[in-house]
Amino acid sequence: MNPFSLEGKHIVVSGASSGIGQQCAISCAEMGARVSLLGRNSERLQQTLSQMDGTGHHIYVVDLTVEEDIKTTVQKIVADSGRISGLLNAAGISGTLLMKSVSGKKLDEFFQNNVYSAYILTREVCRMGHFAQEGGGIVFFSSIMGSYGETGKSLYAMTKGALQAATKSLACELAPKNIRVNAVSPGLIITPINENLPHITDPSKREELERMHLLGLGKTEDVANACVYLLSDASRWVTGVNLYVDGGYTAK
Amino acid sequence: MEKEFIAKLKEILEIEDRELNLSDEFRTYEEWNSLAYLSVIALFDEEYDIQIEEVEFKKLRTVGDLIAAAQNK
Repeated sequence: MNPFSLEGKHIVVSGASSGIGQQCAISCAEMGARVSLLGRNSERLQQTLSQMDGTGHHIYVVDLTVEEDIKTTVQKIVADSGRISGLLNAAGISGTLLMKSVSGKKLDEFFQNNVYSAYILTREVCRMGHFAQEGGGIVFFSSIMGSYGETGKSLYAMTKGALQAATKSLACELAPKNIRVNAVSPGLIITPINENLPHITDPSKREELERMHLLGLGKTEDVANACVYLLSDASRWVTGVNLYVDGGYTAK
Repeated sequence: MEKEFIAKLKEILEIEDRELNLSDEFRTYEEWNSLAYLSVIALFDEEYDIQIEEVEFKKLRTVGDLIAAAQNK
């Protein structure tokens, strides 16, 4: 059997209604997984679902900032599709803001959406009776900004650094259950959300960004393929790792 | 309360395949260790609002003792 196959696995993907999360759901299905898709918007989840191969996929509309809703959703997922063999924490928010403009409220919002939600979802997925007994993989979505600096990125960067830190300790804690915990750190990925933002459309800014990423800017598939690897048995001996998928941004 | 406490204890110890009895000496469980101890202390604190000292905790021997301590505000 192809070691990269996800045949027979049940994968949960948060943030599956758009961007990288959406592509991850599509790619996991393509590799044979049954996928449970989490997102805020039912219409867009349906749209993702319509692009997926195979059967046995379900969508769940949930606000991941509400702890109780995460608990009940995970229970529902296990009741509907059985134990979970992998989790992609793709949900999150992004932004650029100078420190002087970062309020306590903004800090709460970013940590809530990028750190607490992923952590609590992971906790519930790993709860007794929820995760597959043979183990599997969990992936946190960090960023090159979790390890490298850029003006206006401190708020976003703090949340992404927190995920890298959590990845290592959880890898230690969950190894006895054969649950591997890793992070991916994408560079700049072109998605429908950011393709029209000023830093992408402005030719000189775009050129600068492309120069920083030695192989040019990334596609959502580039991150999704890395996630397939981290969920599959091909990475059975890989845990606590932060995998840069950045077109060479961090090589210099 | 008794049922609820036992369910939480099973979750902490990750005991899926058997029932726990009130007379069980929890320290003899194969699953009992220092991290389980910290989790039970956290359970007392968070769910029952009881801050239990180590000396006090050492006196507890059985699952029934734990439940009695959790009820005894």
